[in-house]
Amino acid sequence: MLFLQLLLNGLQTGAIYALTAAGFALIFGATKIFHVAHGTAFTIAGYVFLFAWGAGWPSWLGVLASIAAAMVFGIVMERLVYRPIQRHEGSFFTVFVAAFGVSIVVQNIIGMIAGRGFATVDTPLSFSAEILPEIFVAPMLWISLATAGVLFVALTLFLTRHPAGVALRALAQNPDLIRTYGLSSNGLSVLAFAIGSALAAPAAIVTAMTTGLNEAIGHHVMLISIAATIVGGIGSLRGAALAGMMLGIAESLALTVVDTQWAEAVSFLVLFGFIIFRPAGIFGVTQTR
Amino acid sequence: MTAFLINLATLAAISGILASTLNFIVGYAGIFSVAHAVFFGLGAYGGAQVALLLVPNPFLACLVAAVIAGGLSLCLALPALRVRGEYFVAASLGLQMVAATLFAELKPLTGGIGGLVGIPRPEILGTIVPVLPLALAALALILWATARLQRGTFGRTLQSIRDADSAAESLGKNVNAAKTLAVVFACAGAGVAGALYALHLSFINVESFTLDQSIQIMAMVIIGGAGTLWGPLVGAVLLLSLPAVISFIPFIPPTEVGAVQQIIYGTAMTLLMIFRPAGLLGDMSKGKSTA
Repeated sequence: MLFLQLLLNGLQTGAIYALTAAGFALIFGATKIFHVAHGTAFTIAGYVFLFAWGAGWPSWLGVLASIAAAMVFGIVMERLVYRPIQRHEGSFFTVFVAAFGVSIVVQNIIGMIAGRGFATVDTPLSFSAEILPEIFVAPMLWISLATAGVLFVALTLFLTRHPAGVALRALAQNPDLIRTYGLSSNGLSVLAFAIGSALAAPAAIVTAMTTGLNEAIGHHVMLISIAATIVGGIGSLRGAALAGMMLGIAESLALTVVDTQWAEAVSFLVLFGFIIFRPAGIFGVTQTR
Repeated sequence: MTAFLINLATLAAISGILASTLNFIVGYAGIFSVAHAVFFGLGAYGGAQVALLLVPNPFLACLVAAVIAGGLSLCLALPALRVRGEYFVAASLGLQMVAATLFAELKPLTGGIGGLVGIPRPEILGTIVPVLPLALAALALILWATARLQRGTFGRTLQSIRDADSAAESLGKNVNAAKTLAVVFACAGAGVAGALYALHLSFINVESFTLDQSIQIMAMVIIGGAGTLWGPLVGAVLLLSLPAVISFIPFIPPTEVGAVQQIIYGTAMTLLMIFRPAGLLGDMSKGKSTA
């Protein structure tokens, strides 16, 4: 019974990880930018929702505000930080350090404004009910699984059917050819950042309603997104989402063997193993890097 | 006041060692590790245990620390041989997270979250010595070794690996051996810094060896200028004097000093990367390939 309970908890964590990882993988796949400030978009989205809730806004407005905040952050990062660096052909590490600087700044500003430590949104949706003997499930589990499922189907349809989505996939494969066809790679990379960051918002809201947010949670989210993207295989959205789900479940199931503080370490042992034995990930094509 | 300055100078020298050794792999070999605090920690716990259980001899503590950190640095060298770029950064992030959990949980060796307390003062031939001269000597030794290695065959090999490892390999350089040696040297240096840190503070816990610390060391290297001899040292002094300077600004409440300091160095990292990616002392023309 403990196993089933942990599996259900893992599904909820996994849905959150899958969404953020898919956002990170979309941005990295299309623009080749290692967006380590992705966790910061998550933090901003979560705190915007928290403030909207605290101010008594209706929840749909809070959700919209939170998505908008994440998108604006992603676009600002692309325009003001990544674009200037890429103009002088900075290497990936220049990008990494710049984005990390931003995430440190935002983390501390949020800490100063909102206070340090965990903050949660209290809602009846996160009260658990006993659905089977000794199995407790809150409505949030179904909501988060449904959200992740719907968004993932929508994203897949967008990337395969909509012209802009097809162009995004083309950008991932061959940026030079995109320009030859008269499409703007700059506009498309803004689009990738907007969509990728927006995917972090629902995950942040679910986290705010269940386990709670703190100002440093962005680090954790970023690390998980990177781990899931690499384990899933760079360039594969499906792989990143699946790996995110697997890491969430693995972290949760590991609790049958080890204590809670080891949960995060489990994800990184998996990542470490993949990097050493199968750097291409589950769905990736072997690249020489 | 003198005690304050001596403390600051000692910490600056220790940070200088950390930044210089990290610079050795980041700036010269192009191995972008964000796990340097792991080896700082390994050295600190190793050195502290030597002082607590055997004798408080600083040389023995440093030697043991260097052996432990250098030996376990193979955990970092292994992914460095397999992957580059983003993949290696991700692997070193993973190593850092796992190690921080280990430091917090292996209570018999590290004292857990509470840390190790009451580490005895360093003694040489029965007299208690301050850590400052030892730290300065170690820093000088590491700078001298870096300068020598940088100009010699080994340094040239590393720089060629950084710029094009297949080219280096085709010229008959043993890329794997050179990378491994560079990582072992840098991590052993971080271990020495750790032992000195433990002896200086008499108290260590996992807080000093987390990702934040790794990023701060990285910031010292980047802000000063990766791939230069003196840049990391300048970065270390700048970042360490920042809290002292901020605490003299009257309108910032003392509880927010840490946050303001982090905001300043985060902003500095981002702005430098946009406008001067080679760092303060870096050569702009060379910087593009380095940082």
